[in-house]
Amino acid sequence: MKRRIAIAASLGAALIPSAALAAEGGESSGSWSSLLLYIINIGIFVFILVKYAVPMVRDFFNQRAATIRESLSKAESNYREAEELANRAAERTAKLESEKAQIASDLADETVYQVGRIYEIAQETAARIKRDTELSAAATREAGQRRMREALAAATGRLARAMIVRDFKPADQNRLLDSFVAKLRDEAR
Amino acid sequence: MPSSKVAKRYARALMGLSNDHRQLEIWGAELERLARIIESPEIATRLESPELLAASRTDALRVIEEKLDVSFPVRSFALVVASHGRLPEMPAIAEAYGRMLDDLLGRARCTLTFAQPPTNDGLRKIIAGLEAIARKTIIPTINVDASLIGGVVAELEGKTYDGSLAARLAEAQHRLAG
Repeated sequence: MKRRIAIAASLGAALIPSAALAAEGGESSGSWSSLLLYIINIGIFVFILVKYAVPMVRDFFNQRAATIRESLSKAESNYREAEELANRAAERTAKLESEKAQIASDLADETVYQVGRIYEIAQETAARIKRDTELSAAATREAGQRRMREALAAATGRLARAMIVRDFKPADQNRLLDSFVAKLRDEAR
Repeated sequence: MPSSKVAKRYARALMGLSNDHRQLEIWGAELERLARIIESPEIATRLESPELLAASRTDALRVIEEKLDVSFPVRSFALVVASHGRLPEMPAIAEAYGRMLDDLLGRARCTLTFAQPPTNDGLRKIIAGLEAIARKTIIPTINVDASLIGGVVAELEGKTYDGSLAARLAEAQHRLAG
């Protein structure tokens, strides 16, 4: 609204001396009154400028200065943040080096431990295999001995049977029956 | 109903009748003869054939009974058994009757297997020994088996008394084998 009023006043101030000049008959030569009108006209123009345009220009520049200051402040803040981040990154890099060394040390320790453990397991396994082998050997030996004893017993049995059959006499049968009867008597008691 | 129970029932019925007539042994022997003929494969196959009519089966049984000269009560008993379709149970009935008769008369059946045919004296001694164990009169069935080498094996009331040389040899062999 103010701006419209200012524009209307400027146009008015610019047109009024022209209208006055036209009313005086279009005199082309200069006069004091014309000069006065020009001076008034300029004065009105200057007044309008000082009253309305200058504050607007001042406001514009104030705002612009504030914007620039704000941008500058933001830029400084960003710069500080970037600097801080760079510092942090540097610290982290330093820490990473330390962690890397720590991990390498841990890995070396773990490797030593695992090697020791594998060695122990290998020793236990070897001992177990040795023990199992000894047991298997003993079982195989025992089974072989048992089979041998069985074969010998069977051969002895066959031989004894053949000898007994060959030399068996009725008196032997009577003796066996007598011993059987004695056994029955014992059972009956 | 299981066949053994059926056989026992029939055997008990005949035993009651034979006891009343004091014919326990005679009727038992006749029943045993009849059962042996009936269970012989050539007779059993024909008598149990489903193609044979009941009347024809009865007639066939009568002919067998006449040939065996079986007493009238045993004939009637066999006909009753046949009419109830239990003729295949006849051997089991005879066996059950024999067991009941043995129990009633205080007898026990024993199988004696000798390595060599026994002498009368040897047999008598063994039977006396077995009677002392069972406290019953022993009715022996004698077998000879040369594979025993020497001695005797007695089977009495489900128990085996082994006095054979073959058993001693086997035991010695077992001990040798460890």
